[in-house]
Amino acid sequence: MSKYGETVTQVREEKYLLEALTEMGYEVEVHPEGVHLNSYYEEQEAKVANIIIRRQHLRGAYGDIGFTRQPDGQLAVIKDELDEYRGYGARWLGRVQQLYKEKQTLAMARAKGYTLKSREVIETSQGEQVRLQFVARR
Amino acid sequence: MQEKTITITIDERGNSTLDLEGFAGQGCEKVFDDFRGGDMVKVERKKPAYYTGHVVEREKIQR
Repeated sequence: MSKYGETVTQVREEKYLLEALTEMGYEVEVHPEGVHLNSYYEEQEAKVANIIIRRQHLRGAYGDIGFTRQPDGQLAVIKDELDEYRGYGARWLGRVQQLYKEKQTLAMARAKGYTLKSREVIETSQGEQVRLQFVARR
Repeated sequence: MQEKTITITIDERGNSTLDLEGFAGQGCEKVFDDFRGGDMVKVERKKPAYYTGHVVEREKIQR
Protein backbone atom coordinates (compact mmCIF):
# COMPACT_ATOMS: atom_id res chain seq x y z
CA MET A 1 0.00 0.00 0.00
CA SER A 2 1.33 3.37 -0.83
CA LYS A 3 -1.30 5.69 0.54
CA TYR A 4 -4.34 5.63 2.77
CA GLY A 5 -6.91 8.35 3.35
CA GLU A 6 -10.32 9.05 4.83
CA THR A 7 -12.64 11.62 3.32
CA VAL A 8 -15.92 13.26 4.29
CA THR A 9 -18.35 13.32 1.38
CA GLN A 10 -19.54 16.74 0.26
CA VAL A 11 -22.57 16.70 -2.03
CA ARG A 12 -21.90 19.24 -4.77
CA GLU A 13 -22.83 17.63 -8.08
CA GLU A 14 -26.55 17.76 -8.80
CA LYS A 15 -26.35 15.01 -11.43
CA TYR A 16 -25.21 12.32 -9.00
CA LEU A 17 -27.61 13.47 -6.28
CA LEU A 18 -30.50 13.12 -8.74
CA GLU A 19 -29.27 9.67 -9.75
CA ALA A 20 -29.04 8.62 -6.10
CA LEU A 21 -32.55 9.84 -5.23
CA THR A 22 -34.01 8.27 -8.35
CA GLU A 23 -32.38 4.94 -7.49
CA MET A 24 -34.02 5.18 -4.07
CA GLY A 25 -37.34 5.32 -5.92
CA TYR A 26 -38.22 9.00 -5.51
CA GLU A 27 -39.74 11.38 -8.02
CA VAL A 28 -37.59 14.46 -7.87
CA GLU A 29 -38.27 18.07 -8.89
CA VAL A 30 -35.43 20.32 -9.99
CA HIS A 31 -35.79 24.09 -9.62
CA PRO A 32 -32.62 26.02 -10.49
CA GLU A 33 -34.12 29.22 -9.06
CA GLY A 34 -35.50 27.49 -5.96
CA VAL A 35 -39.12 27.06 -4.83
CA HIS A 36 -40.82 26.75 -1.45
CA LEU A 37 -41.06 23.52 0.48
CA ASN A 38 -44.36 22.45 2.01
CA SER A 39 -44.16 21.75 5.73
CA TYR A 40 -46.48 20.25 8.33
CA TYR A 41 -47.17 23.54 10.08
CA GLU A 42 -48.37 26.12 7.61
CA GLU A 43 -47.31 28.95 9.88
CA GLN A 44 -43.67 27.85 9.63
CA GLU A 45 -41.47 30.06 7.49
CA ALA A 46 -41.36 28.51 4.02
CA LYS A 47 -37.92 27.28 3.10
CA VAL A 48 -36.59 27.33 -0.44
CA ALA A 49 -34.89 24.40 -2.16
CA ASN A 50 -33.46 23.60 -5.59
CA ILE A 51 -34.06 19.84 -5.55
CA ILE A 52 -37.29 18.63 -3.98
CA ILE A 53 -38.99 15.37 -3.12
CA ARG A 54 -42.64 16.16 -2.38
CA ARG A 55 -44.14 14.59 0.72
CA GLN A 56 -46.65 12.54 -1.27
CA HIS A 57 -43.64 10.56 -2.51
CA LEU A 58 -42.15 10.23 0.99
CA ARG A 59 -43.98 7.55 2.90
CA GLY A 60 -45.00 8.81 6.33
CA ALA A 61 -43.29 12.19 6.01
CA TYR A 62 -44.82 15.39 7.38
CA GLY A 63 -43.15 17.70 4.90
CA ASP A 64 -41.25 17.88 1.64
CA ILE A 65 -37.52 17.21 1.67
CA GLY A 66 -35.27 19.49 -0.32
CA PHE A 67 -31.65 20.20 -1.10
CA THR A 68 -30.47 23.78 -1.36
CA ARG A 69 -27.33 25.10 -3.00
CA GLN A 70 -25.13 26.76 -0.40
CA PRO A 71 -22.72 29.67 -1.01
CA ASP A 72 -19.79 27.19 -0.86
CA GLY A 73 -21.36 25.06 -3.62
CA GLN A 74 -22.57 22.21 -1.44
CA LEU A 75 -26.13 20.91 -1.62
CA ALA A 76 -27.51 20.86 1.93
CA VAL A 77 -30.60 18.93 2.95
CA ILE A 78 -33.61 20.86 4.28
CA LYS A 79 -36.47 19.06 5.93
CA ASP A 80 -39.04 19.21 8.65
CA GLU A 81 -37.49 18.36 12.04
CA LEU A 82 -40.42 16.05 12.72
CA ASP A 83 -39.30 13.86 9.84
CA GLU A 84 -36.09 12.99 11.69
CA TYR A 85 -38.27 10.51 13.55
CA ARG A 86 -40.27 9.37 10.52
CA GLY A 87 -37.46 7.53 8.79
CA TYR A 88 -35.73 10.53 7.22
CA GLY A 89 -32.99 11.18 9.75
CA ALA A 90 -29.24 10.60 9.65
CA ARG A 91 -29.55 7.04 8.42
CA TRP A 92 -31.66 8.09 5.43
CA LEU A 93 -29.31 10.95 4.57
CA GLY A 94 -26.34 8.59 4.92
CA ARG A 95 -27.88 6.28 2.34
CA VAL A 96 -28.39 9.22 -0.04
CA GLN A 97 -24.75 10.26 0.40
CA GLN A 98 -23.51 6.70 0.01
CA LEU A 99 -25.30 6.30 -3.31
CA TYR A 100 -24.15 9.77 -4.38
CA LYS A 101 -20.53 8.92 -3.63
CA GLU A 102 -20.71 5.60 -5.44
CA LYS A 103 -22.20 7.15 -8.57
CA GLN A 104 -19.72 10.02 -8.54
CA THR A 105 -16.79 7.63 -8.08
CA LEU A 106 -17.88 5.27 -10.86
CA ALA A 107 -18.40 8.15 -13.30
CA MET A 108 -15.04 9.73 -12.48
CA ALA A 109 -13.23 6.40 -12.79
CA ARG A 110 -14.84 5.72 -16.16
CA ALA A 111 -13.94 9.19 -17.43
CA LYS A 112 -10.31 8.92 -16.31
CA GLY A 113 -9.68 5.40 -17.56
CA TYR A 114 -9.65 3.37 -14.34
CA THR A 115 -11.04 -0.14 -14.66
CA LEU A 116 -13.60 -1.39 -12.13
CA LYS A 117 -12.37 -4.75 -10.85
CA SER A 118 -14.97 -5.54 -8.21
CA ARG A 119 -17.91 -4.19 -6.24
CA GLU A 120 -18.82 -5.65 -2.87
CA VAL A 121 -21.52 -4.82 -0.35
CA ILE A 122 -20.31 -5.50 3.18
CA GLU A 123 -22.64 -5.91 6.14
CA THR A 124 -21.39 -4.25 9.32
CA SER A 125 -23.01 -3.57 12.67
CA GLN A 126 -23.47 0.07 11.60
CA GLY A 127 -24.96 -0.75 8.21
CA GLU A 128 -23.96 -1.65 4.68
CA GLN A 129 -20.68 -0.49 3.22
CA VAL A 130 -19.88 -0.48 -0.48
CA ARG A 131 -16.38 -1.44 -1.53
CA LEU A 132 -15.20 -0.65 -5.05
CA GLN A 133 -11.87 -1.85 -6.36
CA PHE A 134 -10.27 -0.29 -9.44
CA VAL A 135 -7.12 -0.99 -11.41
CA ALA A 136 -4.98 1.75 -12.90
CA ARG A 137 -3.85 0.99 -16.44
CA ARG A 138 -0.48 2.70 -16.07
CA MET B 1 5.33 -5.46 -12.09
CA GLN B 2 2.90 -5.03 -9.21
CA GLU B 3 -0.68 -4.20 -10.12
CA LYS B 4 -1.79 -0.70 -9.15
CA THR B 5 -5.08 -0.93 -7.31
CA ILE B 6 -7.41 1.59 -5.70
CA THR B 7 -9.90 0.39 -3.11
CA ILE B 8 -12.59 2.80 -2.01
CA THR B 9 -14.93 1.84 0.79
CA ILE B 10 -18.03 3.98 1.23
CA ASP B 11 -19.60 3.67 4.66
CA GLU B 12 -23.25 3.92 5.69
CA ARG B 13 -22.92 7.68 6.16
CA GLY B 14 -21.50 8.17 2.69
CA ASN B 15 -17.98 8.88 3.90
CA SER B 16 -15.13 6.89 2.41
CA THR B 17 -11.70 5.44 2.85
CA LEU B 18 -9.19 5.30 0.03
CA ASP B 19 -6.51 2.64 -0.10
CA LEU B 20 -3.90 2.84 -2.86
CA GLU B 21 -1.52 -0.04 -3.51
CA GLY B 22 1.41 -0.28 -5.87
CA PHE B 23 1.80 3.45 -6.43
CA ALA B 24 4.78 5.65 -5.76
CA GLY B 25 5.58 9.34 -5.88
CA GLN B 26 3.54 11.92 -7.78
CA GLY B 27 1.43 9.29 -9.55
CA CYS B 28 0.08 8.36 -6.16
CA GLU B 29 -0.95 11.96 -5.42
CA LYS B 30 -2.76 12.28 -8.74
CA VAL B 31 -4.75 9.10 -8.21
CA PHE B 32 -5.59 10.14 -4.65
CA ASP B 33 -6.89 13.50 -5.90
CA ASP B 34 -8.92 11.81 -8.66
CA PHE B 35 -10.72 9.60 -6.16
CA ARG B 36 -11.07 12.24 -3.47
CA GLY B 37 -13.49 13.98 -5.84
CA GLY B 38 -13.41 17.34 -4.04
CA ASP B 39 -14.30 15.82 -0.69
CA MET B 40 -12.75 17.00 2.55
CA VAL B 41 -9.77 14.89 3.64
CA LYS B 42 -9.97 13.80 7.27
CA VAL B 43 -6.97 11.45 7.40
CA GLU B 44 -4.11 11.13 4.91
CA ARG B 45 -1.14 8.82 5.38
CA LYS B 46 1.73 7.89 3.12
CA LYS B 47 3.15 4.41 3.45
CA PRO B 48 6.75 3.35 2.90
CA ALA B 49 5.90 2.10 -0.58
CA TYR B 50 5.19 5.70 -1.54
CA TYR B 51 8.93 6.32 -1.46
CA THR B 52 10.28 2.97 -2.69
CA GLY B 53 7.61 1.74 -5.04
CA HIS B 54 7.54 -1.66 -3.25
CA VAL B 55 5.04 -3.00 -0.81
CA VAL B 56 6.74 -3.33 2.55
CA GLU B 57 3.74 -3.15 4.80
CA ARG B 58 0.20 -4.31 4.49
CA GLU B 59 -2.49 -3.04 6.77
CA LYS B 60 -5.94 -4.35 7.40
CA ILE B 61 -8.58 -1.73 7.92
CA GLN B 62 -10.87 -2.54 10.80
CA ARG B 63 -13.81 -0.26 11.42
